[in-house]
Amino acid sequence: MTGPSVARPRVEPTAEPVLVRRLLTATALVFLAAFLVLPLAVVITEAFSKGVLAYFAALRDPDTLSAVRLTLITAAIAVPLNLTFGVAAAWAITKFSFPGRRILVALIDVPFTVSPVISGMVFVLLFGSQGWFGPWLSEHDVKIVFAVPGIVLATVFVTFPFVARELIPLMEEQGTEEEEAALVLGASGWQIFRRVTLPNIKWGLMYGVILCNARAMGEFGAVSVVSGHVRGLTNTLPLHVEILYNEYRLAAAFAVASLLSLLGIATLVGKRIIEGGERRTRTRMSADAPDGALAA
Amino acid sequence: MSIAIRGVSKRFAGSQAVNDVSLDVPAGELVALLGPSGCGKTTLLRIVAGLEVPDAGTILFHGEDATERHVRERRVGFVFQHYALFRHMSVLDNVAFGLRVRPKIDRPDDGEIRRRAHELLQLVHLDGVAARLPSELSGGQRQRVALARALAVEPSVLLLDEPFGSLDARVRKQLRRWLRRLHDEIHVTSVFVTHDQEEALEVSDRVVIMNEGRIEQVGTPTQVYEEPATEFVYRFLGDVNLFHGRLVRPHDVDVARTAQGASAVLAEVRHIRPFGAVVRVELDRVDEGESVEVEVARDRYLELALQKGDRVYLSPRVTQIPARFGGEQPAQT
Repeated sequence: MTGPSVARPRVEPTAEPVLVRRLLTATALVFLAAFLVLPLAVVITEAFSKGVLAYFAALRDPDTLSAVRLTLITAAIAVPLNLTFGVAAAWAITKFSFPGRRILVALIDVPFTVSPVISGMVFVLLFGSQGWFGPWLSEHDVKIVFAVPGIVLATVFVTFPFVARELIPLMEEQGTEEEEAALVLGASGWQIFRRVTLPNIKWGLMYGVILCNARAMGEFGAVSVVSGHVRGLTNTLPLHVEILYNEYRLAAAFAVASLLSLLGIATLVGKRIIEGGERRTRTRMSADAPDGALAA
Repeated sequence: MSIAIRGVSKRFAGSQAVNDVSLDVPAGELVALLGPSGCGKTTLLRIVAGLEVPDAGTILFHGEDATERHVRERRVGFVFQHYALFRHMSVLDNVAFGLRVRPKIDRPDDGEIRRRAHELLQLVHLDGVAARLPSELSGGQRQRVALARALAVEPSVLLLDEPFGSLDARVRKQLRRWLRRLHDEIHVTSVFVTHDQEEALEVSDRVVIMNEGRIEQVGTPTQVYEEPATEFVYRFLGDVNLFHGRLVRPHDVDVARTAQGASAVLAEVRHIRPFGAVVRVELDRVDEGESVEVEVARDRYLELALQKGDRVYLSPRVTQIPARFGGEQPAQT
C-alpha cells in the first residue's frame, strides 16, 4: 500500500546545531588563514617591498640563477631515478611474492621516518673526507660531499618513497589478473607493462611524480648537511633563501622564496588536474550497466 | 587438439592442491572439472594453461610434451573467473589484444585485426558495443567479451575458470546453453571448471569430479549421475537421504498416505516448495526426528493434497545405488 510519497525531512547523519557547525567552519578557516594564507601573503609582500625592479634584480642575481639551475638539475636527476625505482619496486612488491617482500616495503618508508638531517649525515659519514670511502675518493679525486653529486644523492634518498608509496596500494588493489590474461594471450613482459600495467597506474604515477618533484626542489635539511653552502656552486633554492635571509637581505630572500611558493602552488594545481582526470576515469568505469542478457 | 595430463601434482604452502592426477581430454570435447571449492580444479586448469608449474607430472598437447612450454607458446585461450578484461581498453581493443601483441612476422595488418575482432564480436552477439569500456557492460556481456578475446588468438585449447560463477541465475542459464551451442559450432577442445553440479551435467560432454586434489570419477553426465563410482560422487551430485542405512536421492522416495511395505517410515510435512513440475517437500521423521527431503511430481502432489503438518509414509524406491555405500554406516543426512 504505497500512497503518494510524503516528502519527509531528510535525516542528516550530523545533527549538530547551526551554531556549532558555523563555529567549526570558522575555526578551520581562521586556522587556514593564519597558518597558510598569511605566510604566503607575507612572502609576496616582502618580496615586492622594495619594488618590482628590486624583485627582478634579486632573481637575476648570478647566485640566484645558479641556485635555480642547481635545483632544476637535481630534480631532473632525482625525479626520473625515483620514477624508475618506484615503478620497479611497486611492480616487484605487488605482482610477485618473494622472500623479503615485507622488509622491502618497510625499507621504502625509511626516508619518511628518518629526520632529513640524519639522511644528510649518512652521506657525509660515507663519503666525507673523514668518512668510510673518504680516503679512496680523495685519492681518485672524486668529490661527492660538498659538491653536486652529494646534493643529488641526498635528494634521491629523501624523495624515493613518493612514487612507490603512491603505486603500491593502487597496484595491490588491481591485482595480477589482467597481467595474467595478457600473458596467456601471448604478450611479452615489456608489452604487458607498456599496454596493460602502465595505463592502469597512469594517474597514480603522475601524482607520485608531482609530489616527488615538489619535495626534490624544496628539500632543505638533508641537502643543507651535504651541500657545504658554496655560493654559486652548491646552493639550491631553499639554501639560497636561508643565506640571503641570514645576511639580512630580506627582499631578495623573499623574492627567491616566492619562486619556491610558486612551485608549491603549481604542484597543487597539477594535483587538482590529476585528481580531476582520475575521477572522470573512475566515474566512467563505475557507470552502472544494465544486466542485459544475450539479446544485447 | 587433445590434452593429456600425466601424474600431475602441485603443493602450495603445506596443502596438496593437486595429487597425482591423470586425465585425457580427447580433441573437440567439452569437459567439466567439477568439485567443491578447494578441491584443486582451478589449480589443475592453471597448470594446463601454464600459469602454474606442476611439482611433478607432464602435460601433453596433441601427444607432445608441453610441460616446459611457456604460457605464451601454449596457444591456450583462458577465460578468467572475473574475466580480467583490460579495464582501460575498449571492447574491440580487448578482443584485438592477442593479435596486436604478436611479433611482426605473424601479425596481421591493422585492418585485418579489426576485421577479425569484429567477426568475433558478432559471434558472441556483441558487435554493437565494440567501442565501450568493459565497465560499461553487464556481467553477461563482459563474460562474452572475455570469451571472444580468448578465441581471437585461435587457441588450440579453451580453458574456462568458473565461467558463469559471478552471474545471476537467469543470465547464467542462458549463457551456459549458449556456450554449449557455441562449442558445437567451433569444436575447440574445452575444459571448464565449476562447482555447480547442474552446470557441469547440463553443458559438458564429460564430467571429471574432483575432491581433495584427486579425481573421483570421469564419465558422461549420465554415467556419473546414474552410476556414481564413490560415495563422494553420489553425495556431491545431489541431495541424499538415509533410509535403513541406505542413501537415497530425493526423487527416489515414494510418498503415500498409507504404509507401503515394511520399510516405510512415518514422517511429518514441515515445508513445501510448490514451484515447477517437481515439488520439493521437507519432512521430519516421526521415529528419529531426522529431516528428509523428497521430490514429488506435481500431479502426485496434487493427488495427495499434501499440507503442512500432514503425516505421510515414505518408502525408498528400488535404487541403483551400489550396495557398498549403503553397507557403510557413517553416512548421515
